[in-house]
Amino acid sequence: MSMINREVAWRVFAREFNDSTLEMEGTEERSPSYLVTPLGAKINRIYTVGVLTERENIGDPEEPMWRARVTDPTGTFFVSAGQYQPEVATTLGHMEPPLFVAVVGKSSTYQPDEDTFLTSIRAEMIKEVTEEQRDQWIIEAATSLKERLEVAIEASKMDEVSVEELVDLGFDENLAEGFKQANEHYDSLSFDKYERMLEDSLRYVLPEYETQSIEEIQEEKEGEDRRDEELESLVIDVISNLEEEEKLENGVEYERVKEKVMEEEDITEDEFEETVNNLRSDGKLYEPVLGNLKIIG
Amino acid sequence: MEENEELAPHIEDINRALNEKLSEEQIEEELRTYTDRYGVPLGSAKRSIVKKYEGDPQDLYVSTEKAIDDIGGDEQGLNLKCRIVSINEKEIEVDDEPKQIWYGILGDDTGTIPFTLWEAKPIELEKGDTVKIENAYANTWNDEPQVNIGSKASVKEIENDEVPQFERETQKLDLADIRENMQNLDVTARVTSIERKMVNTQDDEEKELFSGIMADETGKAQFSAWHDFGMEEGDVLRVKGGYVRSWRGIPQYSFDETAEVEFLDDEELPPAEELDEVSVYSISDLAKRGGAVDAIVDAVMIDIKSGSGLIFRCPECRRVVQKGACRVHGKVDGEADLRVKGILDDGTGALTVIINRELTEDILGYDLEEAMEKAKDEMNQSVIQDALEEKLIAQPLRVKGNITSDEYGLMLVADEVEYKTIDVEEEARKMLDEVRV
Repeated sequence: MSMINREVAWRVFAREFNDSTLEMEGTEERSPSYLVTPLGAKINRIYTVGVLTERENIGDPEEPMWRARVTDPTGTFFVSAGQYQPEVATTLGHMEPPLFVAVVGKSSTYQPDEDTFLTSIRAEMIKEVTEEQRDQWIIEAATSLKERLEVAIEASKMDEVSVEELVDLGFDENLAEGFKQANEHYDSLSFDKYERMLEDSLRYVLPEYETQSIEEIQEEKEGEDRRDEELESLVIDVISNLEEEEKLENGVEYERVKEKVMEEEDITEDEFEETVNNLRSDGKLYEPVLGNLKIIG
Repeated sequence: MEENEELAPHIEDINRALNEKLSEEQIEEELRTYTDRYGVPLGSAKRSIVKKYEGDPQDLYVSTEKAIDDIGGDEQGLNLKCRIVSINEKEIEVDDEPKQIWYGILGDDTGTIPFTLWEAKPIELEKGDTVKIENAYANTWNDEPQVNIGSKASVKEIENDEVPQFERETQKLDLADIRENMQNLDVTARVTSIERKMVNTQDDEEKELFSGIMADETGKAQFSAWHDFGMEEGDVLRVKGGYVRSWRGIPQYSFDETAEVEFLDDEELPPAEELDEVSVYSISDLAKRGGAVDAIVDAVMIDIKSGSGLIFRCPECRRVVQKGACRVHGKVDGEADLRVKGILDDGTGALTVIINRELTEDILGYDLEEAMEKAKDEMNQSVIQDALEEKLIAQPLRVKGNITSDEYGLMLVADEVEYKTIDVEEEARKMLDEVRV
């Protein structure tokens, strides 16, 4: 009997997902393509639970294209939802990070140039969940990773990776095949890294190892927001003081502002640049002549 | 190679086809040259010899039957003398037309093999008939050879004694491992439920059927006993000589009066409640099995399909009414109902789950009437689906029910649904201990 089997939703940690550089196109017409991870998970669909830390509409209000970051204990998933996922896009548009979210989606890859291979999730579903659900997901992802590591360890004892022998050892055929394909593509695979990742992610859910709660993430974020605001008002103050003192019509030179701000506050050049850019995009600063900054209003 | 005794009827056959043109010794020598020296199969060798001496191969009468155990893989022009161990009807679709086919098991004293009869039955075949099959072909399906009886083949009933009586060694098997078309099994299990029914057989005969569920330490299966063995709920039985038939992917252990049923001590198997615990399956195992009865699946609900929540059904056919109209009966006054049609995924596979009104009410925490009130207040039928998504999506669940399969994949009709709580800390410590070793 030929069955239409729905693609399974893999539970895979962000780091293994993002380490992937092998895409296998389906051999038959309309058959799905897979992202093969270094440990041989053949991912068409993925299920993850993590913290939504950022979301941004890079489209326009009419045709939104949402990009979001969802982090797990090992790294960050890049999640997208556009016009083909209108419900997800709407839901994501109403979410205020940070939040625990569950995401189901298709693996997607992008190769801007030969050396860069970017992976992301095209979301089919996103939902706010609880911390408990996130912890349960970590257990599922760890169980799945542990099984792939066991395949890898057994396979490394073989002269040549044999799917048949792995199946005889009791491993799932799909896992064994995936590992063989991965083994042919990725060179000098370091299992240690993934073993450490497994242990770290398991410790993450134990009470004796402190992890950040959503409140702490919130606090940290609020702290960052506060500093951003402080820096912004400092820059504004510096410019307006100089404008007033020297009766400048065409604003203050960029370098002078920078110098003055860095004198008053422990701030890096990057931070200064970012603050100025934020003020400009918020419509609080403009450049009346090249290289000069002037306050609007 | 062939013993004289076995070649003798073929030598005689060639002799007759060639009108005794050659001596028996000459024929034997030719035959051995073809078969022993050049490895030509006996059937082809006979044809070639007859042609070589200007005879007509059509005049050959003794066909070269193949022993079932010797059927390897892809073979054409297959001739067999065998007994029908089991035969079942099945309707398939060819070019959108329904077509009747038959499938079952053939056996001789060397072994058994599944078969499919693709064309209208040339004769009325029944279980136990001894037949001669000519010009069939063999192929492999799921790595197992099987015989195909196509339009070019013929099937003739022959005398019973043309195939020696055979008794196959029974195969001891756990219930978790039973698969469609297996036969001659030896299964030890506890009857966990049983009921007596009268059913009409193909010949319009009324027959007594005892059906129910049996369980061992590996799983459960439906059974059908076509004979009154005096079985009762709770009995621990050893049933030798049963076979497996499938209904929508659920393998069923079937046996009749030819089976040997032995009543064992109660202590041979754990009590029914304990056996109930074991039937937790991964979805990939269920896909391999094709289905299961009374099985437990631990998985996460990752999608809820449209047509869930508050729905309206056609009073005639129970189909879901869309925009006030039934697909078959047109505009109807739909009857309200509640259900969930969703996707459960456990990381090894995915299946469709159907949750009925009663269980859906439990999940919602209110009943159909209240659901209709809520929908009316909101002027929106989909608020109930939204509420279900809120409660179920990304939620680990333990669902129990029967699992069937068809061309759309696996489907679980839920009898019980509960939220599954995972002791995260305990699981994490257990895994850390295993990793450190």
